[in-house]
Amino acid sequence: MSGNYKFDTLTLHAGQIADKSTGARAVPIYQTTSYVFQDTEHAASLFNMEVGGHIYSRLTNPTIATLEQRVAALEGGVACVAVSSGMAALFLTVLSLASQGDHIVASSQMYGASINLFEHTLPRYGITTTFVAPNDLQAIEDAIQPNTKMVFGEVIGNPGLDVMDVPAVGAITAKAGVPLVIDATFNTPYLFRPLENGANIVIQSLTKWMGGHGIAMGGAVIDGGNFDWGQNDRFPTLTEPHYAFQGVNLWEEFGPAAFSARVRSEGMYNVGPSLSPTNAFHLLQGLETLNLRMDRHLSNTAALLDFLTNHEQIAWVIHPTLPEHRDYEIAKRLMPKGVGSIISCGIKGGRKAGRAFIENVQLASHLANVGDAKTLVIHPGSTTHSHLTPEAMVKAGLTDDMIRISVGLEASEDIIADFKNALRAAKKATMEA
Amino acid sequence: MHITYQNEEIFISTGGRELDKSAPVLCFIHGSGQSHLTFLQQGRFFANRGWQVINADMPAHGHSSGQALTTIADMADWYAGLLTALEIENAVIIGHSQGCLVGMALAQKHPQKVTKLCLIAGAMAIPVNEDLLSLAQAKPQKAYQAMVNWAHASDSHLYDHSWPGMTHIDFGHQVMAANDSQTLFADLSACNDYHDGEEAAQAVRCPTIAILASHDKMTPLKAGRKMAQVIANCEVHEIADAGHFLPSERPFDVNVKIRNFVS
Repeated sequence: MSGNYKFDTLTLHAGQIADKSTGARAVPIYQTTSYVFQDTEHAASLFNMEVGGHIYSRLTNPTIATLEQRVAALEGGVACVAVSSGMAALFLTVLSLASQGDHIVASSQMYGASINLFEHTLPRYGITTTFVAPNDLQAIEDAIQPNTKMVFGEVIGNPGLDVMDVPAVGAITAKAGVPLVIDATFNTPYLFRPLENGANIVIQSLTKWMGGHGIAMGGAVIDGGNFDWGQNDRFPTLTEPHYAFQGVNLWEEFGPAAFSARVRSEGMYNVGPSLSPTNAFHLLQGLETLNLRMDRHLSNTAALLDFLTNHEQIAWVIHPTLPEHRDYEIAKRLMPKGVGSIISCGIKGGRKAGRAFIENVQLASHLANVGDAKTLVIHPGSTTHSHLTPEAMVKAGLTDDMIRISVGLEASEDIIADFKNALRAAKKATMEA
Repeated sequence: MHITYQNEEIFISTGGRELDKSAPVLCFIHGSGQSHLTFLQQGRFFANRGWQVINADMPAHGHSSGQALTTIADMADWYAGLLTALEIENAVIIGHSQGCLVGMALAQKHPQKVTKLCLIAGAMAIPVNEDLLSLAQAKPQKAYQAMVNWAHASDSHLYDHSWPGMTHIDFGHQVMAANDSQTLFADLSACNDYHDGEEAAQAVRCPTIAILASHDKMTPLKAGRKMAQVIANCEVHEIADAGHFLPSERPFDVNVKIRNFVS
């Protein structure tokens, strides 16, 4: 839901009113580690989580709080905790819900580091994961066990671009009494708001489109406040007394914000992947133009898709707006404005042609990021997903000739001209071989 | 804590502390379609400062079972009975919005139960627009949205929250959505049908404080001032730039004023 203001207004204003003491219109960067207490009673009330306020910037900071409240407003969540990266956001979510002996159901089609977290890191701490195809609804239902603490997936999978039918999966998780946690990085709330469509928690890598300029790392956990943690005894981290803060029962005392209270009171307190205030400021600057940038990302993506699907050097193109995409109907239903600005494609000539293409683009940048204002290209098999086993590569839908393109905001004619030249070089390299 | 009261399981937030019935008691009464979470930033504050906090969810609200009560008089009796069931002789009653109507009725009908009365964003009458009543009955989710929007001042609409990372608008909506779907309609009907507010206000004999909000659209400031004038012994505090949800919009101000009043 939303208050009196539209999305486009909230991108500029949510979380901040002009500074009442200085009149500063822009969000000030509060580059401070700590905050002077009014008196001992004030200090005690903050430490005991009786009232809101700032103690220490590992936990909260006014600049970061503005970012958190803006992201929460845009996603339609009751609260948000901003952290140092999207991966930190995912880890704190797991930490807040799962303990030794617990279980997670996760999509098999997602970012390599997320797969590694579930497949390799968490089992060392006694938390196991069953991987399922994101839209195999029966498999998701079958995989949920009595000790399952969350079902996790990406709205738009990275880099295979599978589109999870979030409302359909949400119906299954609601029935099973398990929260649906969704990484919504590739779509942003401008294209799709998972919390209004069956999800309970959203993860964002703010580094990507939300920040949008490739200058600041950040992540966010957004609490939908729409899950009944007290429906059974499955979630003791939220429904039993906290080991600190005078044994507060977060579900009873914080209600819809119990989960985010746990993320902050344990994740930030005991682990501490804090965002820097300066990065929060940069991310806020990016958010101010999210709607405008996303429209341009989408129109440039459409133009580049038209070029690629008609080019003789391109073996295949994957994007959920193409009718042949297996999730085309789901994507059209969930994201009528557009389905993000990542394109995966294969260049005829395999690995050699792919390498030649990447080495010959001049405007596009070869780097390991997505969602920048500038157009980016990468070969996932040799970079972002190189740590996966061949079997895991196949499971994640990756092929050796795959190029991942993150379409930027340049003039579409210039992007296309750059790609035309690079494809010519790729063809030449293939012929020479 | 959960207790069985009038054959229903009733949840009472005690601010995270065990009840010590020898200490003075603050009994919080929430408003229409709300729950104990209205007083999220009051309960633990006072519980940790030597008061016993009774912050109950009325039937069909929050974590309590049962059917929603349908009249303000029944609600007043319900709270009087609750205190008796808890073996609490009397308490400071702190009401918000509809909770003020209940608090005044409680002071009128059961004066021995009320040592002091704190009325936050209150009035002697809370007439409810017919459209809102219809919406609450037919499309409660829309009614929650309308009420949450209407009840917060402009700063809250810009998601400026004293609790880092939280939002007034979406949190407020989810608090209401957690209740049984016809609860809001029952509460609003009870408010709309209650016409004894002035009589109840005139009957209040205990020390009373009214904490009012300058930008309150639900129980406008002038209605709150009128209520305070009718009550014999009522001090008034007006908080600037705040809306109807004073306990969450201005928690520090509200807490300090309550503490000074009850100390």
